[in-house]
Amino acid sequence: MSIDNPPTVEVDEPEEPTNRPRPDHELRAWLSRGYVRKILALTIVFVLVIVPIAWLVIHFMNLSGAPASAIMVEIERTMFVFTLVSSPLMAITLAILVYSLVGWGRVSGDEPPMQESPAIRTNGRAVVIWIAATSILAGFLVVWGLIELATITAYANGSTPPNQQPHAARAIDINVTGQQWLWTFQYPDQGNIQASTLVVPVNVPLYFNVTSKDVVHDFWVVELGVKIDANPGAITNTGVTPDKLGTFNIRCAELCGLHHAYMETQIKVVTQDQFDAWVRDMGGKRTV
Amino acid sequence: MSATAVVHETRDVPQPRQHGKPGGFLRHTSIVTGLVSGIVLAVVTYAIGSHFFVPWGTQNADFTQVGLNALIAATYFAWVIGFMAGIGALAGPIRWALGHDLTHDDAEYMAGKGQGKWRYWKYTTDHKVVGIQYLVMSMVLLGFGGFLAMLIRTELGATWTEVFDPNFYNSIIGTHGIVMIIALIIVVTGPFGNFILPIMIGARDMAFPRLNALSFWLLFAAVPPLASNLLLGGIRDGWTVYQPLGTQAPIGMVGYQVTIIIFAFSTGVASVNLITTSVTMRARGMTWNRVPVFVIGVIASSIMGLVWFPMFQYSQILALSDKVINTSFYNPVHGGSVWLYENLFWLLGHPEVYVVIIPGTAALMELMVVFLRKPLFSYKVAVAGFAGVVAISSIVWVHHMYMTGWAPSSGYPFMLSTELISIPFGFLVLVMLGTLWRGKPWTRLPMMCVYAVIWDKVVGGITGVYLSDVPVDQYMHGSMFVVAHFHYMLMGAGLFAAIGATAYWFPKMTGRMLNERVASTGFWTAFFGFQLTFMSMFVAGLQGMPRRVLQFDNAFNISNWLSTIGAYIIGIGMLIFLYAIITSWRHGTIASSNPWGGKTLEWQTETPVPLENFPVLPVVTGDPYDYGVPDPYGPIPVEDTREPAVTR
Amino acid sequence: MTAPSVQGTEPLYPTTGEPVSVNAGRNRLGIWLCIVSDATGTLALLVAYSYLWSLNVNDAWAPPKNAWASPLPFWLIVLGTLIATLLMWWGLRSISTGRRGGLILAAGLSALIVVLTLIGQIVQLSTFPFGPSDGAYASATFWLCLAAAFHLFTLFFLTTAIVGRTRAGRIAPDNHSHVRLVAMYMTWATIAIFLGALFATTMTVSPNDNSPTFGTFSE
Repeated sequence: MSIDNPPTVEVDEPEEPTNRPRPDHELRAWLSRGYVRKILALTIVFVLVIVPIAWLVIHFMNLSGAPASAIMVEIERTMFVFTLVSSPLMAITLAILVYSLVGWGRVSGDEPPMQESPAIRTNGRAVVIWIAATSILAGFLVVWGLIELATITAYANGSTPPNQQPHAARAIDINVTGQQWLWTFQYPDQGNIQASTLVVPVNVPLYFNVTSKDVVHDFWVVELGVKIDANPGAITNTGVTPDKLGTFNIRCAELCGLHHAYMETQIKVVTQDQFDAWVRDMGGKRTV
Repeated sequence: MSATAVVHETRDVPQPRQHGKPGGFLRHTSIVTGLVSGIVLAVVTYAIGSHFFVPWGTQNADFTQVGLNALIAATYFAWVIGFMAGIGALAGPIRWALGHDLTHDDAEYMAGKGQGKWRYWKYTTDHKVVGIQYLVMSMVLLGFGGFLAMLIRTELGATWTEVFDPNFYNSIIGTHGIVMIIALIIVVTGPFGNFILPIMIGARDMAFPRLNALSFWLLFAAVPPLASNLLLGGIRDGWTVYQPLGTQAPIGMVGYQVTIIIFAFSTGVASVNLITTSVTMRARGMTWNRVPVFVIGVIASSIMGLVWFPMFQYSQILALSDKVINTSFYNPVHGGSVWLYENLFWLLGHPEVYVVIIPGTAALMELMVVFLRKPLFSYKVAVAGFAGVVAISSIVWVHHMYMTGWAPSSGYPFMLSTELISIPFGFLVLVMLGTLWRGKPWTRLPMMCVYAVIWDKVVGGITGVYLSDVPVDQYMHGSMFVVAHFHYMLMGAGLFAAIGATAYWFPKMTGRMLNERVASTGFWTAFFGFQLTFMSMFVAGLQGMPRRVLQFDNAFNISNWLSTIGAYIIGIGMLIFLYAIITSWRHGTIASSNPWGGKTLEWQTETPVPLENFPVLPVVTGDPYDYGVPDPYGPIPVEDTREPAVTR
Repeated sequence: MTAPSVQGTEPLYPTTGEPVSVNAGRNRLGIWLCIVSDATGTLALLVAYSYLWSLNVNDAWAPPKNAWASPLPFWLIVLGTLIATLLMWWGLRSISTGRRGGLILAAGLSALIVVLTLIGQIVQLSTFPFGPSDGAYASATFWLCLAAAFHLFTLFFLTTAIVGRTRAGRIAPDNHSHVRLVAMYMTWATIAIFLGALFATTMTVSPNDNSPTFGTFSE
């Protein structure tokens, strides 16, 4: 090999336009390959396996009585939809994974195998399709998520406290104090009564002002899908409208010391009459 | 002749004056002198300090035990300074300042020439020695963390009683977390970034050989403060040590802060070394198109570590300051803010998970090529994936703080950025799938790890998608669902990838073949146990079980029993794997220099690797993925992006 | 980059035999990376300062009796660091045009000014009208100054090392890359100390005056 006779490099000349195969013929040719069909079949099988997981997920979340609010319904819907829309991409990944172990042959033994696999350096079409598919999926998840976030922020009474909103006159303000290792609830509009179990009437908006007296705790009303940190030195807010009668769990979701595991209490969602009776029993009165 | 002159040609180069015998002060230092001097200085500091830091154990209204914390902090720092001085780390800067530069003989001594096995116990600069030291240290840390995990699962499995007292349990989970995080940060970049990478790029050593030794021994010095915390009351606040809970903690907490401060220096120094080596010391002809993808992964991980570790370091410096001199960075009574801590912490905390997972992924990409005998699918997409992850990882940290109430409207932009990072991460999955496509796998253990890891990435990835959504996080944050998710990513994809890398490079690093029958048995046992443990944990999280609790509702009992059984299976599997490593290292079949038929440069030199790595530095004329036969399916054009093989 | 290993064109690095420019290039990249890391650390302190200033938690940002630190010492320290840095750059100019004595003088003066500045910083730290436990402003200012002191201590080591190395002959007109590296780092240290002084002297009174009282729901 010398400078005067450079080695010839084979270049694929584009074919004449009239001779290039039609895209649908190309697709059909690709689909006619045995392994392509098998991988697509495997993908469909895996989709069918993954899809029921969406129901299973919701089943586990509902075991203790959820959903008990519109927020929780939205959360569950989001989990459900995300599982479904992610299933195609998950399925094809797993299909390729499984098929590659069995479908194109295997070599075992001590010696390195002789070279036999096709030298595919890249495939522009596959790259573009994958990037497009993952971007579309990510885009869908983002848009769904942004809309959901706005929705539950509204259900949580947003950043304007309900008592400053003209149409939410019946909202109940509750001051939640976390401390090592118990929750205290104070009702400023019901005569400042204080309780360690949260009792609320059904279908009435609640607005929580949350703080801590010592370290960071996390106020988690499990089946209602409410969670916000209780920070010392700051007041954080969230809200919810419970729409199911019953007794549900409040747990602390941020490690706060020795008895973090026991920092639990309950929320009792009762009828309006039962709530009024309870307020009277606690020595308070409706001041709103 | 190549421009990078070889070490043994420097007999003609004018040398500075030889001060004493080759090696100077380092002839007399080793781990023994380091330990002695560290312990002596610590004891002296404690003795003197206990007369000055008064009063002991006094608590003021804000929980701090100022005097005792200051004393313990001073003792730990004295240990570190004493150890580093005793092992000879200060000789470098002092010699530099005085102008007593190293001669060639000094450098050879410091690289361990003529010292046999003893060089592993000294301040040795040879990157191969440091790589082995990191491998052993990783295994020790993983073993300690794993043992703690067994204790945790025992407590959670015994649902009818409290096996450990709550303070001790809280300490175990915190220590398990931070020990594993440290172990996973170093597990691929430490052994293989140090040992393999310089050989892979055709260099004789790393850019700053003395920093090789410094990064390892700083890590070594950082371990006793961490390990001793369990004797001093423990780290009772999770591995994240949220403030101001951390200020309530007993003196063992100071160990955590000192460890992180020192570990941050170790990581920073190692990152500087790795990046500079990869950028400036590649062999002639190794243009950026021809750099093996493992190097790209290590560079990406090092950049993230270098840039963000100081945030974590400062979060702990300020926490230590709150404990020791009573400042109020995190103490809300006097103007401090918990949110400050959380932000500083997570600014590293998120890039850190990519620091863990990127090198392992890159190592798997590297070995897949060899075991499938086909080129890496779309090298450029892999590089773009690493670059995208590095870039976006800096702007997602708030997704760990969705529920803090810090800035409620921040949920929107950070949900966007968190979803976006799944796209470059997806590039990496595409590259792996594309490489698997139509390949014929050689089903040895390194290759089988790839299958395990991709499965774990799929599960971890989809559960990550759930958590990135703010409304879903409103239910999931602080629950066992999060714990299961990050174990799938860090352990399932991170640690198992490290196991693959270990199996792949074992012959080159130890000179022996790994007993694959035993190692595979151990690995798959652990893999099966892993699925059982963490799938059950997802269920517990969905049901509403919070994390970091030792007692819980009866509703969660079944999930916890299954998780505990799975955890014991993991333990058995990992012990079998460890047995394989140890016995193969001592009695395994002697390995040839290229048992896998690899094309990267580390396989083109002898095993055991000579001190100067290559007798003659290589000149690279092609890329390392030149495998495979032409694609038999002609009609559908395959874009040929290979450079012509003509060299100048 | 194919410099021949012929003696006389460029000095060779003793341990590896490479031309010193190759080694200098590596060291330069290393110093840049160290500066990046140092910058993030400085950013952490600046973030701590400004975030606590903006929050004014429990109305406890301000020091007792509003005893803010006087601005003058901050700017004197910035000035000192700046002068020391400029001296080192001048010393670099000196050695690259062949004058060894000029570098020794410049680096020596630089070291002296660094020492004086460091002493000044320690004096400032010990004479604040507040202690580190007097609230968030006090804590953050204290640490900005402590970080400056650490930077100055490092600069002291670096400047005296340059003097020592030049006198020992390790720095010469055809092999002086270390001077540039030290000057680069000193420039960064000046910027870091400047930013600290800027924050501590301009962001004093907090803009937030309705933060809730700790542990209660009232302001």
